[in-house]
Amino acid sequence: MSDAPLILCADDDADILSLVSLRLERAGFRVVQAIDGDAALEAARSERPALAVLDVMMPKRTGYEVLAALRADPTLSDLKVILLSARVQEADVELGLSAGADAYLAKPFKAGDLVDKVQELLEA
Amino acid sequence: MASFSLAAQALPGLAARVRAGPAAWSFAALGSLAVGVYFLLSPDAQSIFYVVLGFAAVAAVYVGTIRNLPRGERLPWHLFSLGLLGQVAGDAIFAVYEVKLDREPPLPSVADAFYLAGYPLLALGVFLVLRRLGGQATRAAVIDTVVVFCGVALVQWIFFIDPYNHLHFGNESARLVSMAYPAMDALLLVAFAQLLVGPGGRTVAYRLLIASVALWVVADEIYGLNAGSYQGGAWIDALWLLSYVAWGAAALDPSMARIAETDRRRMPRLTRSRLLLLAAALLTAPVILLVERAAHHSVHAYALSIGGAVLSCLVLLRLAGLVRAVERAGRAERLARRESEQAQQLLSFQNDQLRELDTLKDEFVSSVSHELRTPLTSISGYLELILEDEQDEQKRNYLGVVERNAERLLGLVSDLLFSARLQGGRLELERTEVDLSTLVRDAVESATPRAEAAGVELTLAAENVPPVSGEAVRLAQLLDNLISNAIKFTPTGGRVAVQLAPQDGLVRFEISDTGIGITELERERLFERFFRSQTALERQIQGTGLGLYISKAIVEAHGGRIGVQSEAGEGTTFVVDLPAIS
Repeated sequence: MSDAPLILCADDDADILSLVSLRLERAGFRVVQAIDGDAALEAARSERPALAVLDVMMPKRTGYEVLAALRADPTLSDLKVILLSARVQEADVELGLSAGADAYLAKPFKAGDLVDKVQELLEA
Repeated sequence: MASFSLAAQALPGLAARVRAGPAAWSFAALGSLAVGVYFLLSPDAQSIFYVVLGFAAVAAVYVGTIRNLPRGERLPWHLFSLGLLGQVAGDAIFAVYEVKLDREPPLPSVADAFYLAGYPLLALGVFLVLRRLGGQATRAAVIDTVVVFCGVALVQWIFFIDPYNHLHFGNESARLVSMAYPAMDALLLVAFAQLLVGPGGRTVAYRLLIASVALWVVADEIYGLNAGSYQGGAWIDALWLLSYVAWGAAALDPSMARIAETDRRRMPRLTRSRLLLLAAALLTAPVILLVERAAHHSVHAYALSIGGAVLSCLVLLRLAGLVRAVERAGRAERLARRESEQAQQLLSFQNDQLRELDTLKDEFVSSVSHELRTPLTSISGYLELILEDEQDEQKRNYLGVVERNAERLLGLVSDLLFSARLQGGRLELERTEVDLSTLVRDAVESATPRAEAAGVELTLAAENVPPVSGEAVRLAQLLDNLISNAIKFTPTGGRVAVQLAPQDGLVRFEISDTGIGITELERERLFERFFRSQTALERQIQGTGLGLYISKAIVEAHGGRIGVQSEAGEGTTFVVDLPAIS
């Protein structure tokens, strides 16, 4: 199990954080959790995950801000990022993708869609 | 007749005038001829002929007035008739003296009474004509009249009235009567000047009227300068006689009815003729002074200095009025400009506010979406987990109910937010080339489980259709709305048929059901926001009344049309036409 890809999950809603983690663990990934933007950025730097699933509306740093910080850090430039958000208007999706996210998933999400997207990005 | 038509061809302007007022021009022509004849007659015959001609003019004015003017507008011209009649009466008394007694009447005589009574009537007639034209009551027009009057009065006093003070008369009344004539001429001169600059359209009758007043005044002034040497039958009689003729012709010409029509360009602005008149009035005093000095007369120092001062003040007053009017116009313009600037500022401020509100609304819609979707994420996510693990059939059924309702709630949230966005304006599309047959197949496929669960047969007949320009997500939403609706409103055992076919540059999507149908009354309100049919409410068919409102907005954003055919109890067919890419 130790060589399974490490996924960073960040969401300020503990229930959703558990749900996402559970889904990814069931799919065979290792998971590191973060409860806000700062924690997410810290974990990304210390744990070196292969992929991050970031909520957009988080305290301290929004998903966008975390994403921007990740993209600005040359040592983390190949980290894949999925934004997972309840903000589903076209403008939100566009903003997320233009900020450098690899994918944008809407809440509520189907477990299958999330796992498929993670696997697809890791294989790419 | 032939020579007349030749002349008419040669002089089209004259011909037109002859046609316009044959009576007037016949009278003018015959009258002029008669004036010529006058000088061929013996002195006694001249006296009688003079009276006859004058009387003919009075008759012409009267007949012309009756013929050309409606009752109620005739007063000025009746005054002309009366004024001229006064002159003719004076002439007649004069003639009686000359023919019967072989001498001129004494001074003063009854003839003078008639003559003098005629002048104010004629002048009054002119002023009434001008008053009917309007514009005479304005301050500027009144000042102009007073200026002209002062100038004329100055001239009349110095050259025509005051000299009688230095002559020796037998009696004082003879002196007064002699002085009364130039005084009366002052009235006619002012009338003439006013006609000259008046706002009347320059019709034939108006010109003839100006000519007749001018002839009369000129004849009077020449007479006044040579009063001692005047003899009956002198050439200046021609001027008086022609004045009679012109007055009669003016009344006979039909254009006299239009004299009261104002030529707006001539309203009392400072037209060139008005300016010349004011300048002439202003120059009266200095010119008289020069003339008197040149002729080595004694200078009328008092009259000239008072007259000159009054005239200068009046002209100053007139110019002050003009300057004030210009200033007023300037102020009004500045005010209007300031108001327009303020209105523009207000408008741009309001625009900013609207933009701000629009941003706020988007922000609000987005946050509400977020706040509602977040708990739904946990509900449906954990439900999905439980359903995966749960083996108990009954519990699975119960959980299925919860899942369906969670989905309904999510659909409701999506529809509400989407319709809130629609309220804010037209739907913006991200257009690509969309193949509707693929979209329709996908929509039918995903609706099939629902149809089966409801016991409704769902069929699809899709032909190959040209692509449409549109947003695939929105078109899928449209198809899904309509198919879901049809299934929802069709009872178990019923049938929902979906068809897709090309149609004259359009792509037609048709969906028929054997459902509860829609009454004619309800069809009109079917696409309104939150509208729900009575049957749907009675049978407790779930819905928000947003689906068709959203569907219509999507179709219209794509430049298409949506229509419905239905009978209550007979089922419903929705038809959507979307323009194909040619």
